[in-house]
Amino acid sequence: MNHFIFVLKSAFEDFSRNKGRTFLTSLGIVIGVLSVVILIAFGLGLKKYINDQFQSLGSNIIRVVPGQILKGGSFSASSGMSTIRFDSRDVLKLQRVKSASYVIPIVTRAIAVSIGKGTEPATLYASTHDIFLALNLKTRFGNIFTKTDLEKRSKIAVIGPKIAAKLFGTEDAALGKIIKIDSQNFRVQGVLESKGGGGFGGPDLDSFIYMPHTTAQVFNPDKKFYAIIVKSSSDVSITTAKDEIKTALLKRYKEDDFSVIDQAELLGAIEGIFGMLNTVLVAIAAVSLVVGGIGIMNIMYVTVTERIKEIGIRRALGARKADVLLQFLVESVALSILGGLLGLGLAYLIVFFLQAFFPAYIDVNSVILALGVSSVIGVVFGVFPAKKAADLSPIDAIRNE
Amino acid sequence: MIKLKNVNKSYKLDDDVIFTAVKDVSLEIKQGEFTSIIGPSGSGKSTLMHIIGLLDQPTRGSISIDDKDVSKLNDNELSSLRNTFVGFVFQQFNLINKLTVLENILIPTIYTRSTLTYDPLEKARYLLKRFGLETKEKSFPNKISGGQQQRVAIARALIMNPKLILADEPTGNLDTKSGAEILKLLHELHDNEKITIVIVTHDPNIAKQAKRIIEIRDGEIQ
Repeated sequence: MNHFIFVLKSAFEDFSRNKGRTFLTSLGIVIGVLSVVILIAFGLGLKKYINDQFQSLGSNIIRVVPGQILKGGSFSASSGMSTIRFDSRDVLKLQRVKSASYVIPIVTRAIAVSIGKGTEPATLYASTHDIFLALNLKTRFGNIFTKTDLEKRSKIAVIGPKIAAKLFGTEDAALGKIIKIDSQNFRVQGVLESKGGGGFGGPDLDSFIYMPHTTAQVFNPDKKFYAIIVKSSSDVSITTAKDEIKTALLKRYKEDDFSVIDQAELLGAIEGIFGMLNTVLVAIAAVSLVVGGIGIMNIMYVTVTERIKEIGIRRALGARKADVLLQFLVESVALSILGGLLGLGLAYLIVFFLQAFFPAYIDVNSVILALGVSSVIGVVFGVFPAKKAADLSPIDAIRNE
Repeated sequence: MIKLKNVNKSYKLDDDVIFTAVKDVSLEIKQGEFTSIIGPSGSGKSTLMHIIGLLDQPTRGSISIDDKDVSKLNDNELSSLRNTFVGFVFQQFNLINKLTVLENILIPTIYTRSTLTYDPLEKARYLLKRFGLETKEKSFPNKISGGQQQRVAIARALIMNPKLILADEPTGNLDTKSGAEILKLLHELHDNEKITIVIVTHDPNIAKQAKRIIEIRDGEIQ
């Protein structure tokens, strides 16, 4: 132990004598660890972000969509290939399902909304008044639309705060104003509270425009629905609710014609895609760790050559091969861990500033991974130079000038 | 104490010619002797010293220490013997320049596997004081004089209480005055502490100070 502390101490004394070289040698590991940790932090942030998005929509939400969207937990290539479209008969049928507390048909479209001059892209979400309850949507200004609006096909809209601000400057200014979609006029009846989101492929919920689906029939003359959202009552399990929904729909459609997906499945599929993407990126970043390791190996070979005489002296004074091996191995591992710590520190700093824009974070596993991987690199790339040093014959080494 | 029997050391040179540095050497060094090995450069005296000091192994022949054959020992066992049994003093001092004087003296105690019956730090400081180097404890070897460096090397050779000190041209890099001081020191160690001393030299004036002179020429004892 005494010996080990001595070896460690002399390694660090060497580093402080050769600060420039030490820094450059571990730079490869710094960059490698930095990029791996940051990419993992990004992946974690993305996962958290998607999770939060789904959480904000409320749990026990079940989506009923045409076609086979998910296959084996990931998105199916043939999604959207189905020819069926739900209609009001399906909605009625699902409303009779015991475990369904809300059944909300959805008509959705990408639209352009304007107020005379400016035009902004938005997503139209036409549904029933229940959508606000089911998705936990609350108005910040004005009101949501009601059952009466649905029945009277009122030409009104409840809009997200972001699109409101884009069109009218401030959110409250939108209230009562007329917006134009496909040359049809709609009065803004309410502006919703922010749900966050947007960017990174997630739905920009704050740019959604909600209106009664009866009103939206001007854009949707065949009165078919894109999807039906079912909120199951909280006293039954999601599985039971899904089974009941399937049974109800199977009377009219074949099994392949539609999918009944709960939040967890959808979340799993989305996370699967991003997870894979992240893994690929991390793997690419990990290549730089290998390059860093080669840099360390290179310098360790130089160090061994420079110190042949010293090795000879130590061997003459009783150092065993294992002592010499340990000395150089400790140096390469220390170099590598030093790089790992520096990379980790920089990653913390970058992630800290990044958090202003994105919920990226570094978890304990990344820290363990970074330090574990850098020690392994130190050992793997240090062992060959250290072995070379240990295997020098004492007499040849001490004669070296 | 040390017996060499028909020891040969040969090297294969680049052009496949075999060069024999030590030819059929048999000798015995007894406990408490002060011996010098003298010979011109290239005579094989250094090779012989390296073999006696277990730094190098003979191509043929056997070495025994205290009647124990050491020619078949493995590297770890040889390292341990170098650590405890021999103390080396080299012409080039062979101190590690990035370590302080005190740290240099302590190197053998770091690598030892045997339990020391004394405090190495205390002993190192005692030796420094005895050799008049107590103010140089924290100095680096390249910042002190040659004579001082060689005294540090002797202190390092003594830290493990060895039975044998092997000195290879110990005065070769020193001026006459410092050289004489080093020799005086070796004589003191021999007289007061009964340490066996072997000095390798090319200088007859140094060799004749020893009680026993072994002359070597072209790898053979004369």
